[in-house]
Amino acid sequence: MNETLSSMPFLPALLLHAAIPLTIILVYALVAIWAERKVAGFIQDRLGPMRVGGWHGWAQSIADLLKLIQKEDIIPADASRFWFKFAPFMMFAASYAAFAVIPFSSGYIGSMVNIGVFYLLAVTSVLTLSVIMGGWASNNKWSLLGAMRSAAQMVSYEVPTIATVLTVVLVAGSLNLMEITELQSGNDTLGFLPNWLIFQNPFLITAFIMFFISILAESHRVPFDLPESESELVAGYQTEYSGMRWAMFMLAEYADMLLLSLLGATLFFGGWNSPFGDFLAGPFWGFFWFMLKGLVLVFVMMWIRWTLPRYRVDQLMAICWNILIPLSFVNLVLAALWEMIF
Amino acid sequence: MDLAAILFYVFALVTIGSAAVVVFSRNIVHAAFSLMFTLMGVAALYVLLYADFLAATQLLVYVGGILILILFGVMLTSQGYTLNFREATVNVVPAGLLSVAAAILLIYAFSTGGWVITEVDERTDTVYDLGMMLMTDYLLVFIVAGVLLLVAIIGAIVMSTRLSVNTED
Amino acid sequence: MVQAVKNSWATFKSIFTGMGITGRHLVGPTVTLQYPEERATLPKNARARLFVNMDDCIGCTLCAKACPVNCIDIETVPTTADVDLGKTSTGNPKRFWLTRFNIDMAKCMYCDLCVHPCPTNCIYMEQEYEYSEYDRSNLLYKFSQLSPVEVDDVKAKAEAEAIQKQKEKEEKARQKAEEARLKKEQEAAEKARAADDGTGAVPAADAAKAAGTAAPDAADAARVAGTAAKPAPGSPSKQDDTQNPSKGEA
Repeated sequence: MNETLSSMPFLPALLLHAAIPLTIILVYALVAIWAERKVAGFIQDRLGPMRVGGWHGWAQSIADLLKLIQKEDIIPADASRFWFKFAPFMMFAASYAAFAVIPFSSGYIGSMVNIGVFYLLAVTSVLTLSVIMGGWASNNKWSLLGAMRSAAQMVSYEVPTIATVLTVVLVAGSLNLMEITELQSGNDTLGFLPNWLIFQNPFLITAFIMFFISILAESHRVPFDLPESESELVAGYQTEYSGMRWAMFMLAEYADMLLLSLLGATLFFGGWNSPFGDFLAGPFWGFFWFMLKGLVLVFVMMWIRWTLPRYRVDQLMAICWNILIPLSFVNLVLAALWEMIF
Repeated sequence: MDLAAILFYVFALVTIGSAAVVVFSRNIVHAAFSLMFTLMGVAALYVLLYADFLAATQLLVYVGGILILILFGVMLTSQGYTLNFREATVNVVPAGLLSVAAAILLIYAFSTGGWVITEVDERTDTVYDLGMMLMTDYLLVFIVAGVLLLVAIIGAIVMSTRLSVNTED
Repeated sequence: MVQAVKNSWATFKSIFTGMGITGRHLVGPTVTLQYPEERATLPKNARARLFVNMDDCIGCTLCAKACPVNCIDIETVPTTADVDLGKTSTGNPKRFWLTRFNIDMAKCMYCDLCVHPCPTNCIYMEQEYEYSEYDRSNLLYKFSQLSPVEVDDVKAKAEAEAIQKQKEKEEKARQKAEEARLKKEQEAAEKARAADDGTGAVPAADAAKAAGTAAPDAADAARVAGTAAKPAPGSPSKQDDTQNPSKGEA
């Protein structure tokens, strides 16, 4: 697809290029919000939304979106107007920008930059700032508390995330996600397993576990959803938001969840590589496998959300600083040793 | 004017404009938020100079780290986030003299200095070059910086644990 | 170190146990009823809307008396001699026209206390629980099967009969009083004769007693007349089909 696009005039090609991840995010968000409610329902022996659109209420998210579009855009009187209005868009822009380096299939990647995953981590760190911005500009104590928690949490959990990603980068020898994915094609590990990185090095399994815990915290998912805990902080930094601005926050959050899941799929589970070697491979099947792997991780996140209770702030920080960070660095060194020896 | 030039001017304008907001804003949090645009604009300028690794580092370290720490500090300080700067101008004469002198110096340097204008190398593999350089030519600097950071980390740990020495069960 | 490994093992174990439980529920059956399409079958003794089977109601008003919130409002009119309302399905004779039998379900608190006193089991709770209304007055359920015209009719008839009976009663009482008076005069005459004979003391006392019992006698007579006026139980009546609307629209 990159070849097709490069033959087009520059600007339309650029826009089309940029619109592909956006389309994926938007469709995904609609499906994921519906799926989240269905998963919640089924786990609690309920049915979830059943009315809108016929089969299992599949159009519920679309109806919700229409409702949100029509809602009044309320800005609190004492809010800091410019930053209040700006924060949701910055948050979505940050998570959307990060999709530029995600290789959706062997035929499509937004940008083949060499610093790939490093850029992704750098851009997503702006998310924290937009959360603080929204929380502070709301001029609401819950919002500010949520924002502060979020800042502390995301800055802390960025460290183990980067350390685990670094482990993969060390094994793969590249920052470019496309190259990391290409490295994982083939089915030679132990004779039958795919060449996914998680099967290549035993320390990458532990790295994946730590990475998954960290991305749960990075994307504000249960059990680390302290910044927006509905039950105590009334959704934290989102409290004062309504209508489409709130929807932008929600969209950014779901986009972030997908982004980090896709990153996990790329780094550990072979990205767009088919699990059956050359069978069902190719750009379109690659897209299918990639999204499938990412969505499985998203599903596990939802599953965890409806299973586990929330951590306290001190526990959250203790997990990060006392356990994850030391372990991830030790793991990094051990993985390097393993690579050196074998 | 090609696209890169247009982008350069856009980002330069963003950088300078937000920097002006940082300086002139009376609300310290607004200033901190504006600083974000300054830092991002600088990062974008790095990208236009093919220094993508540096740009990402700028984002990660300054926007994702230091700026958040600044905001944290501002908000955790008492009255931090409602604090406005005092507007009164003090020491007008010395400050004015100093600024005039600095301006004369800068203009003189700008008009007489021989500017070396080179085309930017179109790099594609900054990371590899950077890594090779750090591990060969600049190894000592790299190690010293590493030791310095280690010392800073140990210092931070010592400072933060002193508050809770006897809380172990 | 060992403790840390043990702790993390316990943590992971408990996480996976919890996720196993939620996973089982995820694929397991749901308990939700899709309400308007599916409805739960209520248990037999469920308390919901009250219903009165007017064919069996004998107008005893026990339910109205049992009701703690006075939501049952009953007015009965005794039947006239020419009408026979028949028997209930439980064999009790029906002796009253039910000119009004209103239950205000807005007041009802579903205590079930009205159901049990009913001698004919004609008031009970239905399996119907979806009867919400936009207007509260629509919750006043009227069970009487008589139209206003018929109500006026039976009331007039009952009144006429009551007046008739009253008259008969008075007539009887008057006759009795007359008899008593005649008897008294007779006795007085006899007593006078006996006094003449010089043995007047005891018969005089007898006469006084006879005069005193005259009034209770009259009351008895009236009661007898009243019961006679009511229709003989069980005897079929030709007016049943024409006047008793219970065979008509319920």
